[in-house]
Parts: sequence; structure tokens; C-alpha cells
Amino acid sequence: MPESVLTVTGLRKFFVVKRGFPRTRTVTVRALDGISFDVRDGEAFGLVGESGCGKSTAGRAGLRLIEPDAGEIVFKGENVVTASKARLRVLRRKLQIIFQDPYASLNPRRRIGKALIEPMRVHGIAGEAECEERARALLAEVGLPDTAMTRYPHEFSGGQRQRIGIARSLTLEPELLVADEPVSALDVSIQAQILLLLQRLQERRGLAFIFISHDLGVVRYFCQRMAVMYLGRIVETGAIPAIFKEPLHPYTRMLRDASPVPDPQFKVIMMRIEGEVPSAVDPPSGCHFHTRCPHVMPICREVYPEWRQMDDERGVACHLHASTR
Amino acid sequence: MSSAGPPALDNEGTRSLGRAARSAVRGEHTTAPILAVENLVTTFRTGGGWHAAVRDVSFVVQHNETLAIVGESGCGKSVTALSIMGLVPPGNGRVAGGQIHFGGRDLVALDEEEMRKIRGDRISMIFQEPMTSLNPVLTIGFQVAEALSYHRDMGRREAAATALELLEQVKIPSARQRFDDYPHQFSGGMRQRVMIAMALACRPELLLADEPTTALDVTIQAEVLALLAELKAAYGMAMIFITHNLGVVASIADRVAAMYAGEIVEIAPVNELFARPTHPYTELLLRSIPRVDRDTAGLSVIAGQVPAIGAMPTGCRFAQRCPLRQPICTERDPILVPLPDAPDHHVRCWVRAAPGEGRRA
Repeated sequence: MPESVLTVTGLRKFFVVKRGFPRTRTVTVRALDGISFDVRDGEAFGLVGESGCGKSTAGRAGLRLIEPDAGEIVFKGENVVTASKARLRVLRRKLQIIFQDPYASLNPRRRIGKALIEPMRVHGIAGEAECEERARALLAEVGLPDTAMTRYPHEFSGGQRQRIGIARSLTLEPELLVADEPVSALDVSIQAQILLLLQRLQERRGLAFIFISHDLGVVRYFCQRMAVMYLGRIVETGAIPAIFKEPLHPYTRMLRDASPVPDPQFKVIMMRIEGEVPSAVDPPSGCHFHTRCPHVMPICREVYPEWRQMDDERGVACHLHASTR
Repeated sequence: MSSAGPPALDNEGTRSLGRAARSAVRGEHTTAPILAVENLVTTFRTGGGWHAAVRDVSFVVQHNETLAIVGESGCGKSVTALSIMGLVPPGNGRVAGGQIHFGGRDLVALDEEEMRKIRGDRISMIFQEPMTSLNPVLTIGFQVAEALSYHRDMGRREAAATALELLEQVKIPSARQRFDDYPHQFSGGMRQRVMIAMALACRPELLLADEPTTALDVTIQAEVLALLAELKAAYGMAMIFITHNLGVVASIADRVAAMYAGEIVEIAPVNELFARPTHPYTELLLRSIPRVDRDTAGLSVIAGQVPAIGAMPTGCRFAQRCPLRQPICTERDPILVPLPDAPDHHVRCWVRAAPGEGRRA
């Protein structure tokens, strides 16, 4: 089994926000309620779940782009959470992120060349000429022409911008990339281009990925293992494709079965109609999923199920699979 | 009309369309389609000139049928829907050619006042983001009832009672208590249900759904698709379902039209299209989707990108990206013709569907 590059233990992040109109009230969003996972050397680890499950927060807190409230993040033996400012700067080189909307993360008034060179200069990686050389090489690596150096973000299409976002994340030679919905905003044909590009980079550079997505098909294609999140907690982890073949948690199964398949023989028409889906502001008692679960038992309403690690890969938090039933 | 050139091609297109219509109803020759779009051209003003966002689009929709229009962004699928609704933004866009036959009339020729009587009454539309199409300062009950008092001349009490029934029908939980709630108090999936209730208020004969589930989570999407299928059956209405998601198409459509760069490149019954995608674009698109139900060995990649609206190439618009390109593809515009062994399966491709037989007919 390859070694872990990143180990996250008991990560917690609550946001306090004001909600409501005209009278506001202060609520606590339990975005991350103690999650643990590890990313192994050279692997793509998928974080999946629906909107508001905390998967993006998990990715960002994992890099300390959001300060976690509690928990431990260890990257190659070094604790990221307690790292000093100077040390964190060094660590950040190794840990980079790709966003869903690269346009929002690129300065519209800055040429692509400058956007690529700046991180190298900030980190004092090389001289001016060498930085430019490297930037050109990166553009070539992600499949963009040399002329992109002197152009502005608005001159590129969505797919090309994502290539720029990827090139920029690679400027500091990272070892782990957090990819937060990197292909969700792209058309299908462009999505395939970007997925193949990421795969090539992963092979060539031996990168590890935390791949955050709501699209189970994309995660199945790109990742080797994945964790399913629901309302701030991980409910199941497992190797791909085993977790797709035999999901243990009813939520994993529901997600899989609701994902549309391009084949008219398998229509996703679920006749079960639910009410409002609960949110991380006020998660249901006991197992958070019990309000939507087809196998709900009395204990599910009262006690949050304990995590049960079945083997190296598969773990689940569900009373159906508790060791002592 | 037997001479070569564009008019003959148009004629050919219409002729094959007629065949599709006949085969689609299968024996019910007397049933006229509810909607027939013929050679629709919709143009937009960009960069000082008028360019066609939709070109030579022809299709029919039968009673009780769901036609899915699938394609990537900018392919003209939404513009097609807006053209049918008469909602192409005036000034910058216009329907420049073709006819849209609905209920014995050509919608293109109608003025705004007449169109307003049809819109929301006999043809309704739902959009991708319900929050931007709902009025944030009016209660949902009021908004659903509004169409009823406008089109059906109902009094306030009667309209409200019917609106409540509709909200129950789209399965808003405790609809009575939530009748006076505002849109922001609902989740995305519930808002889309409210939109559907509004669209169905007057029992339209045709519902246009433009990416109605794209902004929703997959479990909620599955519920909304189920709801639409159920309501469609209950109301006996026809539906045009616009989406970029071929998985959703497979779940909901009876027939599918695939669009690329403003043109329909392939149209066929859903099983036929997925079993035998024939246009190279459709085929590659299907093979570029990572599937959730099985391991995807290799993803197909369509190199390059869609040509810009102001810089459409001559000949086939997909030719630049097509692995099967022949010299003729960049010289002459391909036409939509039926496959020899499947008269309801039409393809616009010189290589895969050479129109030899069709032209002689």
C-alpha cells in the first residue's frame, strides 16, 4: 500500500452566519463536523456529495486556506495546522488548488504570462528569464500556445481558462493538488479534454489529488478511492469501483442510483418524493441521513452511528453495518 | 424545385421531416403534430453584423411526446426555445426565417399581443434558475394564481384555490402553510416545483423546459424528472426538454434532437439514438461521458472547440473537429436526411449519411 501524503484527522469547521429577513438570527453552519481521511502517494482521492455537504470546505481547510476550528492535518510528517507562517509558505508550494471557475480566480487586467510568473517570483524560485521560460513550458504542458503569455483572461474560452488555472497551480511544482469541481462548469467535450490533461499530469508528475466533485461519473473515472460526505461528515469511504458496485451506506446508494446514465435502458426516475432536504445549519438528530433513509430504524433517530472500518479501504458510518447490532 | 442549390435542399429537409412525423405517430396518420418548426433561422447582432444562432432547424413534436434537444453551450438549443415562445430579445435578436406552426397558426407571424395570449396559457416555459424567474417580493401562492386570473379570468378566491391544488400536485410539502411564503424561503428543488406549478396552471398543451434540473443536486434532479414525467402523463401534454446532459435525456426523452453550432445534426427516437449514434459529433459526445455505472476504459476527446457565431465555416460546421472529415465536408453544407434503414433517424453528415438516395426521391 502506498504511503499517505496527507492525513486529515477530526477536521472541524463551523461558520457563524446571520440569516433571515427582515429579522436576522445568528446560526451555526456545521460545515465540517470532524472528518478524517488520508490521501496516498500519487493517488486521486475523491470527495463527493451534494451542495452544502462541506466538500469544498474540506478541500480548503485541508490546505489551511480556511482555518479549521479543530483537527489535525499532516502533510508528509509535518503538521499543517500548527505550522508557523514561514513554514506554511513553504508548505503552500507543495499544496495547490484548482478552482471550478478559473475566470473568477484570474485577474482580468493581468496578462497570463504575469499571472504564471508571479507565484514563482513571490517564492523566489528562479530569476526573471528562467521564470518566463518555465511559464512557457507550463503553457505547452497544458496545451496552450506560446502566444497566450501576452493575452488576457477574457480572450480565452472556459476550457482554455481552466487550462490556465491548471498551469498556474503547477508553477510551484506542487505534490498535492486540490481540484475543486474542476470540470463542472465545462461542456462535456471540453470536460473530457481537461480530465485527460489532469490524468496525464498525474502520471507524469506523480501528483496526488483531492478531487472534489458532485458528479459521480467523473469521480469514478478519475479517482482511485473516494469519500462520500453528507452534512459535514464522511458517511462512507472506499476504493473505486468497489464502492460503486456495492455501496454500503444508503446515501451512497441513493447518489449512485440518482446519477443519470446515458443509456435509455437505465432511466433514473425516482418516485419517492421528499420534502425539504435538511441543511448543515440544523442537521437532524442521530444519523443526519435518517430523514431521507429508506432503511431508517428507531436507533437512527437518536444515535449517530459509529465509524466502522471494514478493511484498509472501506469504512462506513451506518447502523445497518454496525459491528454489534 | 428539382434544380440543385439551397431551395432544393430546403425542400428535401421538409420532405424528410414529413416522413419523420408520419413514422413517429406510427399508424395515427390523422393526428397532426402539436408543434411543427420549419426551417427556423434566428439571428443575433454581434460585432456589427447579424449572425444566425439557429439555422435551418426543423422538427415536430407530437401530442404526449417529449422531445429532448441536447447540445453544448452556444449550440442554439435555448434560442430555439425562445424563438418558439416569441421571447427572442428584440433589438439584438430576431426570428429571420422559417415558420413555427402551433394550433393551426404560425407563431412567427403573430404580434406580441396575440403571442401573450398563447404564452403561459397554451405554451409554457420553465427555466434553469427558478430564483431569477420568480418575483422575490410576491408570495408563491400569488405568483401561481396570477396566470389563472390573467388567462382564465378567475376571481381571486377561485384562482387561489386552484393555485393551492397545483402546489399540492407538484408535491410541495404542507402547501397550505407555505402558500404565503416567499421564494427565498424555499430550497432550489422546491422553487423549481413552484415554477412547474406556475407553468402548468393553465394546463398548457406544450411545455418548454430549459435545463430545469441543471442547477439541482442529483437526488433532487431525479425527483423533479419523476414529477415532470408524471405530470406530463396526467396532463397529456407535449414537452420540449432542453439539456446538455445526455444522462437526463436518456431518462426522460421519447425522441432526441442533437444540436451543434446552431443546427440539428441528428434526430432520432431515444433508443435508436443511444444504440446507434450516427453523426460523428453525437457518437463522440456519448463516448466522452464518464459513466457512473461502469468503468470507462478510455474517454473520447473532441479536439478543438465550437466555431464562433460570427465565424462559421462553410460546409459542415463540425468538420474542423471531425476525425472522419472528407474534402466535401468543408465545401458544401450537409443536409439532414433519413438513414436508409431507419426513416425516423435523420443525420446531417456527408460521410455517415450521404443523401444520395434521398435526393432522387
